[in-house]
Amino acid sequence: MKGNAADTDIRQRIAQSAESHVGPGGTAHLVISLKTTASIASSQAVSAREVEIAALKHGIIPCRYLRNIGTIGLNGQIRLLQSTAAVVGAGGLGSTVIELLARQGIGHLIIIDDDRFAEDNLNRQIMSTEENLGQYKVMAAVRRVREINSATNVKTFRERLTRDNARSLLAGARVVIDGLDNLSSRIAVEQICRQLAIPYVYASIGGFNGQIMAIFPEDPGLSSLYGSSSDAMPEQGIETRIGNPPATVALIAALQVQEAVKIITGVGTPIRNQVLMVDARECAVDRIELSS
Amino acid sequence: MALITVRFYSLWRSYLGTDSSALQADDIQDALSQLETEFGPRLREKLETAGVHLDGKIQDYSLILLNGISLRNIKSTALKEGDVLHIFPPAIGG
Repeated sequence: MKGNAADTDIRQRIAQSAESHVGPGGTAHLVISLKTTASIASSQAVSAREVEIAALKHGIIPCRYLRNIGTIGLNGQIRLLQSTAAVVGAGGLGSTVIELLARQGIGHLIIIDDDRFAEDNLNRQIMSTEENLGQYKVMAAVRRVREINSATNVKTFRERLTRDNARSLLAGARVVIDGLDNLSSRIAVEQICRQLAIPYVYASIGGFNGQIMAIFPEDPGLSSLYGSSSDAMPEQGIETRIGNPPATVALIAALQVQEAVKIITGVGTPIRNQVLMVDARECAVDRIELSS
Repeated sequence: MALITVRFYSLWRSYLGTDSSALQADDIQDALSQLETEFGPRLREKLETAGVHLDGKIQDYSLILLNGISLRNIKSTALKEGDVLHIFPPAIGG
């Protein structure tokens, strides 16, 4: 934010512009609209995000987050707006994660992907369209986030995350979210996250099934599932035979976002040291307790 | 000889039509051998019907955990009463 006088101006403008909104349950809230937020941001030369945070700190809810507050509270929404989430891979899981994080009101997104859209992405990669085939995925992602939420700041990197560039690409990230499609990259990202002490929300899918876990730096993580030695680790899985249908991708990506939100806001308990096995075909959800 | 539980997940659960089985085994190799005898042919038949051809035994194309630890990380092959084997195919897509 700017200096004290400017902060006071912004607070006053927010307070003057706040309107009472009565929700379906009869609860009244003070809210500010998207238009008001943009107007204050423009006149005070600050970002929409800063206006939203200032409003929330004074108990005034940006209308766009009204339906978030019941689960994460004002402080949870503030933490989200102040936080950075990094999404590694903007394909199936990654693009839905990006969409939902923007709608949830994440403050800063780092999106890392070096790939372009291909026709066989259209079934599940939510940002791919017939129009943008051949375009870089990060370009579509940044456009989409801007369309959804002008308060979300986006940084994109059209490259692969490696040990050499990880520290600079992931700088400031509170959580790293898996949007990858192979095991060796996931293991590399897990190692990088350990080194940088960043929680990593792992997920993968195949057919009707997906699995997810939140891996904190001190957790055993992927070695519990795949072993510690890279010898004989599967590079691809059953998805190469039975595919990646859209509903499974959306289901698992949604759970990843929920884990990221829990990690950032402190609301709820992340699924640590367990893998959540989701079986959409049998409508079964299991947890396997993991050990090292 | 220990009485252990085998839990199936994901596609293996669907194709085998069960989510668990109990067996008496001397050690991990014995358990895997019994598993292959009892479930291997049925699983491969189901997979073939679905157009998925896999060579080898269940253990060759499954992730297997013993009490939540990858078998690849386990040095002792001994089993004890109440141990649980978790078995499922790797799903690595995104």
